[in-house]
Amino acid sequence: MAEGHQKSSMSYKDVNEDIYGIITRSGIGYYIICGLFGAGAAVLFILPWAYQIYVGQGVSGLNVPVFWGIYLVNFVFWVGVAHAGTLISAMLFITQTPWRRAISRGAETMTFFALMLVTLFIFIHMGRPWNFYWTFPYPTQRQLWTNFISPLTFDVFAIGTYTTSSIVFLYFGLVPDLAALSHTASGWRKKLYEFLSFGWRGTDAQWYTQNKACMFFSAFIMPLVVSVHSVVSWDFALSLVPGYSKTVFAPYFVTGALLSGFAGVLLMLSIMREAYPVMKKYVTDYHYDRIGLFVLVLSLMWSYLTLMEVVTGLYANTSQEIEHLKFKLATPPYMQLFILMIFCNTVLPLVYIVRKVRGSVFGRFVVPVLVLVGMWLERYLIIPNSLSRKFLPWMWQDYAPTWVEISISLGTLMMFISMFMMFVKVFPIIALFEVKEDIGVPMKNRKHH
Amino acid sequence: MSIFSKVKDRLEDLRRPGYFKKYDHKFTMVIDLDRCNGCGACVSACYAENNLPVVGKEECGKSRALNWIRIERYVEGEYPDVKVKFIPVMCQHCSKAPCETACPVYATYHNQDGLNVQVYNRCVGTFTCATYCPYDARRFNWFTYKREKPLDQQYNPDVTVREMGIMEKGTFCIQRIRAAKDRAKDEKRALKDGDVTPACAQACPTGAMVFGDLNDPESRVSKLAKSPRRFRLLEELNTDPSVIYLKRVMKDGRGTSEE
Amino acid sequence: MKRRDFLKYIGIGGAGTGLGYLFGKVTQSPGNKLIPYLIPPEDIIPGVGAYYATFCTECSAGCGILVKVMDGRARKIEGNPRHPVNKGKLCMRGQAGVQGLYNPDRIKAPMKRSGERGTGQFVEISWDDAVSTLAKNLTELNKKPEQLYLLTSDMRRRGHQHTVASSFMSGFGSPNIIRHDLLGPGNLEFANHASMGLSAIPHYDIENTRYLLSFGADFSSAWLSPVSYGHAYGQMRQGGNGRGKLVQVEPRMSLTGANADEWVAARPGTEGVLSLSIAYAIIEKGLSRAGDAGSWRSALGAYRPSEAAKTVDVSEERIYSLAKEFAQARPSLAISGGNLEGYENGPSCHMAVSVLNHVAGNIGIKGGVIPSPEALASAPHPMTGPKNSLSRFAADAEAGRIKTLIVSGSNPVFTAPKAAKVEDALAKIPFIASFSSYIDETTAYADIILPPHHPLEDWGDEFSEPGAGFAPATVMQPVVSPLYDTKGLGDIFIMVGKAVGGKTAARMPSAEFKDYLRGSWKEMYAKNRAMAAGAPTFDEFWIRTLSEGGWWGAESVKPRCAAVSVHAVKEHLSKSVAAEFEGDEKAYPFYLMLYPQAAMRDGSGALSPWLQEMPDPMTSVVWGSWVEINGKTAASLGISEGDVVSIESPFGKITAQAYLAPGIRPDTIAVPIGQGHRQYGRYAKDRGANPIEILPFKENPKTGQIAVNSTRVKVTKIGNGRLVKQEGAARELGRDIVKTMTPAEFERIKG
Ligand code: SF4
Ligand code: SF4
Ligand code: SF4
Repeated sequence: MAEGHQKSSMSYKDVNEDIYGIITRSGIGYYIICGLFGAGAAVLFILPWAYQIYVGQGVSGLNVPVFWGIYLVNFVFWVGVAHAGTLISAMLFITQTPWRRAISRGAETMTFFALMLVTLFIFIHMGRPWNFYWTFPYPTQRQLWTNFISPLTFDVFAIGTYTTSSIVFLYFGLVPDLAALSHTASGWRKKLYEFLSFGWRGTDAQWYTQNKACMFFSAFIMPLVVSVHSVVSWDFALSLVPGYSKTVFAPYFVTGALLSGFAGVLLMLSIMREAYPVMKKYVTDYHYDRIGLFVLVLSLMWSYLTLMEVVTGLYANTSQEIEHLKFKLATPPYMQLFILMIFCNTVLPLVYIVRKVRGSVFGRFVVPVLVLVGMWLERYLIIPNSLSRKFLPWMWQDYAPTWVEISISLGTLMMFISMFMMFVKVFPIIALFEVKEDIGVPMKNRKHH
Repeated sequence: MSIFSKVKDRLEDLRRPGYFKKYDHKFTMVIDLDRCNGCGACVSACYAENNLPVVGKEECGKSRALNWIRIERYVEGEYPDVKVKFIPVMCQHCSKAPCETACPVYATYHNQDGLNVQVYNRCVGTFTCATYCPYDARRFNWFTYKREKPLDQQYNPDVTVREMGIMEKGTFCIQRIRAAKDRAKDEKRALKDGDVTPACAQACPTGAMVFGDLNDPESRVSKLAKSPRRFRLLEELNTDPSVIYLKRVMKDGRGTSEE
Repeated sequence: MKRRDFLKYIGIGGAGTGLGYLFGKVTQSPGNKLIPYLIPPEDIIPGVGAYYATFCTECSAGCGILVKVMDGRARKIEGNPRHPVNKGKLCMRGQAGVQGLYNPDRIKAPMKRSGERGTGQFVEISWDDAVSTLAKNLTELNKKPEQLYLLTSDMRRRGHQHTVASSFMSGFGSPNIIRHDLLGPGNLEFANHASMGLSAIPHYDIENTRYLLSFGADFSSAWLSPVSYGHAYGQMRQGGNGRGKLVQVEPRMSLTGANADEWVAARPGTEGVLSLSIAYAIIEKGLSRAGDAGSWRSALGAYRPSEAAKTVDVSEERIYSLAKEFAQARPSLAISGGNLEGYENGPSCHMAVSVLNHVAGNIGIKGGVIPSPEALASAPHPMTGPKNSLSRFAADAEAGRIKTLIVSGSNPVFTAPKAAKVEDALAKIPFIASFSSYIDETTAYADIILPPHHPLEDWGDEFSEPGAGFAPATVMQPVVSPLYDTKGLGDIFIMVGKAVGGKTAARMPSAEFKDYLRGSWKEMYAKNRAMAAGAPTFDEFWIRTLSEGGWWGAESVKPRCAAVSVHAVKEHLSKSVAAEFEGDEKAYPFYLMLYPQAAMRDGSGALSPWLQEMPDPMTSVVWGSWVEINGKTAASLGISEGDVVSIESPFGKITAQAYLAPGIRPDTIAVPIGQGHRQYGRYAKDRGANPIEILPFKENPKTGQIAVNSTRVKVTKIGNGRLVKQEGAARELGRDIVKTMTPAEFERIKG
């Protein structure tokens, strides 16, 4: 199995130490960078947000009729990034794809933090965020209930479910690792691990249950890969807005989400490998090879669906659709942005056809960054842009984000990075037990192919 | 009746906006575009009646004016054969309102009078209703707008003064409808045609706007609604609006039979 | 609680005499009453509004209004459904009346100047100080009383407020009342008088006409009586007796032009020529209904369509077809206003239209021009003329003949061209008193301000024109108690008059203005038997009048007969009726057309934030000025929308942002009047440009009316910008949003 893996020479102890090393052994520089990102988040995100809550949504560039701006773009973007986690953990878990093992924990962590931003952006884009809990169906004396036919209520459930199950799934995977590390660790970490591992002792029964639970959650989460982003796409597709109201949106959004998710994982791994050279032992060219192929395939699918999106608009041939397309495809600066998007998402991933590129610096860093940019642009070109050209030309208006929106977007990105960096300092970013499985000494009663 | 058809009926009931078979009233406005001369009296009447805030030049430049009703002007042709058409557009009180599906917290729903109502207190500001509204009828309180003293003395005490973060839109002057209903109740009679006149219709010099109950076959709107000039805005979207327009008559008009 | 506060709360104007609630009881919902806080009368329910009847003073139309008052505050102005002028309707200006009342920049107490003249710096003083200062100044003039000038507007000349002012002036011994009103219908009045012998503006029966040919009369926004005509327009279109057609002749498509079935973009200044050539064509084709058609044919020889076509830039065929339609449609009606009022030879242009009406036989018929009955007013009804024109004022000031000036209701610093040198004139006057509610540009020059009540706090009356078979007399009564330390306008004249003493004091009414007003109405009641119908005593009549807002003897007045004779208009039509424009055509290639909007009118609307935010109907621009340029012209000048352009006439230069209008002649540009204030409160100040500044100072020698469409300009782009307007895109792009049908189809479905 596992061609391309050269870990059989490693002992479990090596693995434990390597990974514990990732947790503990970092220079001051790491903490400074992490701190800087944290401070950046505070300044760029928390302060402007507080300002926005205090003064009103008017500090954004939103207007009539462009009521949805880059907050919603970010919302959809991060839902997309969150998707790779699910896919890698669940889909590949069920199919027992071996190369996922070294990267699944990282992907799940990304999912977790991305979902955090997703939730945040829901609040950020709201006019009265302090009333967010009204969107939950809870019994109140006033007998107020939520509107179950609203796609936003779907969202609440979809994202709620997704977040909960992702956290649980992440945690289930962590339990054996924490137990293992609690032997290696010292200090507060040891206490934390002991507490969080719930007295895991690695008995057969425990392994069996854990495996079953992971299996169950994989099966449970798997439909979410499709459903969550479909639901998110319905926020748009269920409206009448030209440019939103398209049946192709669900698969289109899911594909796009996976594409951005994989690009995100790719980028994250590459950065981690640079930060922790020891990870190179676990995350190898083989992984790049596989993920690269995924990105390539997804990019092709995405390109096809993009084409479909445009063509269905053309096919409808109503003034509404045509004007929407004209605005998106032929009006600067959106025309340039569209071209950039196509370059990032369609043209650039084609380089992955060449196997060598998949493992190259270019393939590891440049392509995923640009794919992410492209995917962000895709959402930008759909969400605010469609609203700029609705049914009554009298109300046509353009939209441009203000510094508050841009700052909050950057700040949340920084928050994502700093939180991820902190996570790495507390929890193993590579799933110990899964890697150990890879090493090949079967210690559990489990079948391999 | 079989159980299936019963269930089917029930389900169909549920799909109706407001979950009711029949509205008590179906308030409707008929706007005769052949009378309307685009003067804008209705717009300022709405400002006066409904405590609409003035947002200032900068905000107007961002398209954030809080006008519940606007006069759209469409131009056809080039000089010297220019044709101009005016159409007052406000919330159309769609019977199948896209905005109502959109709101996750039921801040906007259909009431028994056939009105699309907005519950300011319940609104959390997700903007979904406004994006879904094909008529761009909805306006948002981007800030808490204050009137400079003593202009605030003019505030209509019958209408809420909204604060930031809340969506709003034309109400057909619901406060006047409520007052008229109360009055009718006090007098132990049914609401009759002409009891309610929204501020815009009241001001309109040309008499282009007529308001009434479509459920009352004798009302002026019921009669006008049968006009062969009738059409509704963006009717193809199947929103079933409660504002009925009467076609403008003009030289190069698109006659149905002359195409 | 102090009595003053109490009054404020209960909101009955002045001494609680407003009786509008009686009316409220009759026509509004029961219970629309007053809020009593202390001693609640039985018929008052808290929390429910009371309606008081008075009239709108935002323009000279004199629409009747009902003001909804709750908790002692004016909440909403609504049309008075009984008033014959507006029939319960109201324009946007009327709605915004409350913003004048509650404007944060109203003058709160008498003031005297503390800074340089023109800077608008004042300090508050007491009424005693203010009145005695002015009276002292006036007593010093006693030897030469004609050195006192009153500068006022045309607007409220018909009511008793004006009567008091006139008595004040005549009692003092000065005949010098200067009347300046930029948009006043002086030319039209003169023309009607000269051609048809009418002293009041006739009733243009738009409602019943089948063919309305309008020469620049923008009756949908600011011409004479927009609400009344708006109602008539609606009736003309869909009132039930056949759909009337509207043809609008004007170089810049106005709001009315936009509603017209046909727009005739005649060359600026030649509308009169077109009118006469249509008249000629009617006679030529034998379609004239005038008995003296033959004599007209020879009189109009110079206006043969074949020759006129080139002058007016309208094809000969079109002139003939207009003539045919106009003569054959029965009844038809030609009206003239707006642009024509603004030409230096305005009266001739108006007369040309009268001739057309005469030739087509439209005078004195239903659906045509119906000469108005005499107004009921006991007040003098002077016409404006060269004697009380602004040029005379400027000349007299220059010559030092004006020692004291009282300004009331006029703002010539803003509404007169720079070339009129009004500011220089004011600087020459030793003492200026202003009776103004706001510090406008002219008041900024005053030495002392005696602020009157806002009309919603004041007493007065109005005898509006035009009317069809009615002569309305409308009362202005306080609907709220005064917000500030101000006095009624009539009372200010009375106070000052009494303080001056002597003959002036003797001519002043002995009582307060309110009682004087009542007394005058009593006289009117005694003279007019129709008024007594249904009201056997004057007290009953007065109470009814106050509750209903006025009196209009519907059937009691008969229209008079009138016709136009060649003889009467010959003198005026002897010269060409084409207007002249200043400036060399090469250096200044564009005609400059100024027009009033419904919201700003002559600039008086600029103080209201509602009106500032009201999108202009034709451009949707808010909070500023713009210049309308034909799209092709703009392209040739390299101007795109929102660009800042300079507009230069031989008399000055302004800058404004460009709006590319589809409906304007390529050789014409148009700028709205009303913005560009240097004073006049926070909402008006330093906003946009005032195009009046760059006009030549041309007054019609007969009427003293300032010509606003009288110069050519050149246009150069000086920068980029973005115009603040509501319109996103004004094209339907084939979406068929506003559905239409052809007249032919309409006829079919009707039948
Ligand atoms: S017009 Fe817009 S806001 Fe009004 S009911 Fe219809 S969808 Fe809702
Ligand atoms: S008030 Fe009447 S005529 Fe004027 S714009 Fe409104 S609907 Fe049209
Ligand atoms: S036309 Fe308008 S401004 Fe003039 S009096 Fe009537 S309501 Fe007032």
